[in-house]
Order: sequence, then structure tokens, then C-alpha cells
Amino acid sequence: MMDRSLRIKYFLYKHTGMFLLFFSILNSFDLNDLGYKYFSFSFSYILIFYFNLKRKEGLGYIPIFIAGLFNDVIIGTPMGISSLIYLMICGAAAYLRNITLRPHLVKDWIFFLVTLLILNSISFFILNFIFSYEVSTYEQLADIFFTWLFYLIFSYIFDFYGRLILGRQYVK
Amino acid sequence: MESSRDDFVIAIRSAFLKKGTQQRFSLISLIFFSIIFLILGNLNFKAIDYVKIIVKDIVYRSSFIVSEPEKFILNSYDKFLDHFNHYEEYQNLKDNLKVLKSKDLSNEIVILENIKYRKLIDDYFIKESETYAKVLIDNPSPFLRSIIINKGSKNNIKLGMIILDEGYLVGNVVEVNYLTSRVLLISDINSKIPVSIEPGDVQAIMSGKSKQKGTLLYTKNNKIKSNEQDLRVITSGAGRVFKSGIPIGKIKYDINNLYIDKKIVDFYSDFSQLKYVKVVSYTKEQNILDSSSKKNNKDVEDKILQLNQRKENIKILIEEKKIASEIRIKYEEENNYLENKVINLQRQLEASTNINKKNKIDKEELKFLRLNLLYGKKCAKNFYNKLYKVGSVKYRECVLSKGTKKN
Repeated sequence: MMDRSLRIKYFLYKHTGMFLLFFSILNSFDLNDLGYKYFSFSFSYILIFYFNLKRKEGLGYIPIFIAGLFNDVIIGTPMGISSLIYLMICGAAAYLRNITLRPHLVKDWIFFLVTLLILNSISFFILNFIFSYEVSTYEQLADIFFTWLFYLIFSYIFDFYGRLILGRQYVK
Repeated sequence: MESSRDDFVIAIRSAFLKKGTQQRFSLISLIFFSIIFLILGNLNFKAIDYVKIIVKDIVYRSSFIVSEPEKFILNSYDKFLDHFNHYEEYQNLKDNLKVLKSKDLSNEIVILENIKYRKLIDDYFIKESETYAKVLIDNPSPFLRSIIINKGSKNNIKLGMIILDEGYLVGNVVEVNYLTSRVLLISDINSKIPVSIEPGDVQAIMSGKSKQKGTLLYTKNNKIKSNEQDLRVITSGAGRVFKSGIPIGKIKYDINNLYIDKKIVDFYSDFSQLKYVKVVSYTKEQNILDSSSKKNNKDVEDKILQLNQRKENIKILIEEKKIASEIRIKYEEENNYLENKVINLQRQLEASTNINKKNKIDKEELKFLRLNLLYGKKCAKNFYNKLYKVGSVKYRECVLSKGTKKN
């Protein structure tokens, strides 16, 4: 039997990712709009990849699918495209988790870069060639770069948060 | 080799096909579902359209509610900053108001004349409808820039309606839901607007470039005249997408005159600060020559006449003031000249008076010396008479009275 306080803590930790995901999508505060040219990053990509990699049950595929639909509505892209990308990130994270015996942050980080490159290419292809959306390549490349860069920072922050909430129970 | 391929297949299968402990669907089924959603959405499948409309209205409203705390914090911070900048802004506004007041009358005349001429060439648009809307979501993606407003088909919002922020162009409506609408900002790369560059009336197409900038396409750079001032970019009205003459932004004058800078437009409106916007649609005025339109035309002409008369009066007053000030300056100059002349004459008079005085003294001295030679002996004191000492006043008087004694 799990201790009551531990259960609360675990509940908190379990739902933080989901809460952050929906909050970042629905909130109008935009970290990409800091006034720097070409600066942008996809926080949701980092969040989904991290939580699906670190936790076996992940964030839940259906909430991620719904979050993707919400994201499409908010940013005005064709509905379903963000869901597709989010779910493919989940798949990449699950694949990495399956093949990894000894997890290492740098390996995750490099794998995340490959994932970002492939998925952004798919997104670019769908938007540009199927839906005739014009997407700036430079901005997308900058977005990939900064998302990849920030993964390292957010990974440390989420690890720290996990240790803070769960203490010794937190398993990397 | 064979086993590593097997490992890969097993890992992939496990990742995409296996349901997690608390997952109802496998990943691959949801991915397929997303793809189907995308395809049917693209084919405008009715059921998907209804789902989209419902989801959109729910998401816009919930996003608005979720953003409220953060908006409150940001607004409080802005208000805090406003208090600090209050005095400086007040001074700037005061200066600007003075300048604008002087320009106001001329602008009014130009606008009325413009209306008149546009009516003549049958290109005059009047506002068909105008409504104000609140910006619900202004959270653009890194690549696409749009906002959501709280008015939809319920409020007679239609596709293509123009969105203005204080008279400046913001974008147009590209998607209408029942309670909300999406506005494609002019800063979006997909937005293409026919524009005119003034002065010079150079035609171009403007596309969004970044958060606060646009770029001019399909125009020759050498056509844009560099006359050492900012160039204004306004809608040209070509293609009837937008009404002509809506201000968009300016091309900043650059000392170095770099080639690329001539094609970058700085928008007047700050898209990150949009809170309320005006949704307008224009329609071409029916140029029916009935009594009411004739009356309307006459009214406009009368108004122009009145304003022109006022302008003429002001011109005359300004001219009169100019002449009066010229006369005043002339009088002042003459006055100065005369004052100088009087001073010179006074000096001359003083000098001649001094000379006269000197001459008189010399004359008296000469007379004394002449008489002194003749009568000096009669007046000079010696040991046998008791007359006057030489050089004394009495002696002088005695000499001048030709030796006559004076008691």
C-alpha cells in the first residue's frame, strides 16, 4: 500500500506534464514572441518527448491527440497535423525507451534532434505541398535548433522537479 | 545482421502497436486517425467540418479563460510602466497635438476633395458594416500569424472582412465560426496584399515577413524613389481585395540606402498589443443620380467651398500678418537709423560748442595780452606804487580796463 502523501505527490507528478501541455497550448503567453528575430521553440515537443521517454505510461495518447487538435485550432494549421506530429514524437520516444538499456541524457538529446528533423520535414511537406501553406524555412530551422537546445535545459528542470516532488521514489 | 533487424522491428512494434498500461488506443491507431482527420478535413467532409466548428468555439473560449490570469499580470505591469512614463508621454502628446492641429484643416480638405474625385471616377467605397471585436487569442505559431476575435457568423461576420486597429490595417477574416472568427494578420507569410508606395505611387504586393515587418514583392527597387524621408505604404485597392488608401506601414529612410531596406515595411500597428479591433466591410457606392445623391454631392461641394473659404481667409490673415510684421521691421530699422543720426548730431554739436568756448577763451587771452603790452605798466605793482601784483585777478581787470583803477 502506498502512503497517502506519496500518492498525492505521485498524482501531482503524473499530471504535471499534461497540465503543462494544455496550459502551454491554451495560454496566450508566447515564449516565441520575445522580440528576437528567428527565435522560437516548441515547448510542447520537448514536453511530450521528455515525459514519454521518462515514464512508461507517458502522458496518455488520447490527451496528446486532443492537445494536438487544440494546438491546430489555436495556431490555425489544418486540424490533425499537430496531433500527428505529437503522436509521432510519442512513438519516437517509446522506440528510444525500448532500445535503451542504460539511459543517457546526451544520447536522448541526439535522438531528439533526429526526431525533430524528421518530424519537422514531414510537417513542412504536409503544410507546403498538400495544404499550400507558405512556411519560412529559416524560421523552421531556427525553431528546430532552439527546441533541440532547450531540451537539455528543460530536461534538467523536469528531473529536478521529479526529485523535488517524489524524492527518493523518483527514478530517472 | 538478422538479429539487429529483428530488434528494430520488435522495438518499433512495441512502440507503435502495443497499448500502454493505461492506454485505450495504440499509437498507430491514433496516428491513422489523425491522418484520416487531416484528409477528410482537406476534402471538406461535412461531419469533420461540424466537429471542427464545435472544437474551435470550445477551444477559443477556454483559451481566453486560461489566458486571463496571465493577461491580468501583463496588463498590471503595463499600467505600472504607464504611470512612470506618464509625464514624458504627456509632453510628447502635447507637441504632437500642436503639429496635428495645424495639419488637420488641410487634411479635411484633401479628404473631401478625394471623395469628390473618387465619386467622379466611380471608385468610392462606403462602409457597409462596422463592428468592434475583442481579441480572444493572439498566440501565433512560430510560422503562422493569426488572431481569434470574439465575433462570428452570429454577428454577421463574413469571410474577407477587413480588420483595422485605429485605422491601420491588421488583416482580414479567413475563417468564420458561429461565435468566433480567425483573422490572418498581414505579418503572416501567406498574406499577400496589393499596396501603393507613396510618394511615387509605386505598385507592389506586400507579404508578411516577421512579427512586425512586411516585405514588398514584385516591384522594381529603382522605381522606389529615395527622397530622404520615410515612404508610406497604403493599400492600392487593386484586385478589390482591400479598399484603397488604408494605411499599413512605412519604409524607413536609411542613410546607407541599402537595397534590401527599401523593401522592408514597418507596420504602424503593433500586433502584439492588439486588444480590440474594428471589423469593417466596404461596398461600392451606388452612383444613382437621384435627388438624394445630388443633394449629397452638393453638400460635399458646399463643405469643400466653405473649407476653401476658411482656408483662403486664413491665408489672407497670414499674409496680412506677414506684411504687418515686415512694416514693423522696416519702422524699427528706420527708428534705429534716426536714433543713431540724433546721437551723431548731438556729438557734433557738443564738439562745435567746445571749439567755440575755446575760441572765446583764446580771443579774450589775445585781447589781454595786447592790452597788457600797452597798459601793463600802469597796473603792475613796484616798490614806489601800491598797484596790483602781476598775474592776479585784479591786475587782469586793470589791464582789461586799460589801466583804470578799480576800487
